[in-house]
Amino acid sequence: MNAKEIQDRVLKILTPYVKDEKALASAGPGTNILEDLKVNSARLVDVVLAFEDEFDIEIADEDVDSVNTIGDCVTLIAQKVT
Amino acid sequence: MSEGPGLPRRERVALLVQLGVSRLLSPLWLTLTPLLMRFGFGWRVDAEERAVAVREYRRVRGESSAPLLLCANHLTMFDSFVIGWAIGSPGGYLRDFGAVPWNTPEEVHFASTWWKRILVYLYKCVPLKRGGDRAQVAKTLDKVRFLLARGETVLVFPEGGRSRTARVEVDSAAYGVGRLVTSLPGCRVLCVYLRGEGQGSWSDLPRRGERFHVAVALIEPKSDKRGLRASLDVARQITAQLAEMEHSYFDGR
Repeated sequence: MNAKEIQDRVLKILTPYVKDEKALASAGPGTNILEDLKVNSARLVDVVLAFEDEFDIEIADEDVDSVNTIGDCVTLIAQKVT
Repeated sequence: MSEGPGLPRRERVALLVQLGVSRLLSPLWLTLTPLLMRFGFGWRVDAEERAVAVREYRRVRGESSAPLLLCANHLTMFDSFVIGWAIGSPGGYLRDFGAVPWNTPEEVHFASTWWKRILVYLYKCVPLKRGGDRAQVAKTLDKVRFLLARGETVLVFPEGGRSRTARVEVDSAAYGVGRLVTSLPGCRVLCVYLRGEGQGSWSDLPRRGERFHVAVALIEPKSDKRGLRASLDVARQITAQLAEMEHSYFDGR
């Protein structure tokens, strides 16, 4: 699975949690999930759990600390699926 | 037991210095704060319920050296002050300063001006920027873990903020609270339900002359799940306990 495929699936998962849909339309690896997309920080864990289900991976508590941008998500997921 | 392995030595020393300064000045602020609440704002806590809460908190602190996290419902910005008053006495706190709960107030509200920063420092607070950089949030969790492992108690609001519905929302459980509990073996949670008779909704300040009710319940949440799911499961067990206490409160009205 390449980075583009992972990013597309990540954006699909994020969509229901995003409050700034304009930012989502132009989202890229550098887009900050909380600040740019306005995802509620309390819901970030639901997003990460959805990643676990979607990609059939397990993400540790500590891994969540490194998730700030779409690119961080893609990198983390790519490490877990390979 | 780990004392926050992720916390740099500099941060640990800073917390211990804060603890020392806070303790040094504690005879002053531990006495003045309840007086201000009682006579400045006219607040009261139901005497019978307070006596039970104080006794139970003292018992729970005394029966084990395992980490103890206080988790409460959240309706006003002054909840942590009122809770400290409702579950302890100035004399008791002076004898056992570790029982004075640390707090994690929102940085935006409490660390914005110099005098608030001084208060935050004295009142055993570790300001938290909610929704901020995840690494910063993790650092705050490390500080809290360090304090808990040292026998200090820490008060957190597992809903992550003041309840907009004025009711405990089980599904709003902040997973970070569960993460704290699961990362500290044997960690106990003392749930504190506090509500004023006039608190029909969330607000900044309780009304003048408010009469509070308080109840406490000790739980040791555990989960068979792993990773994030375990943290979330534990956090929801805590909010579920608070919701149960809330039902008891309204059933008794």
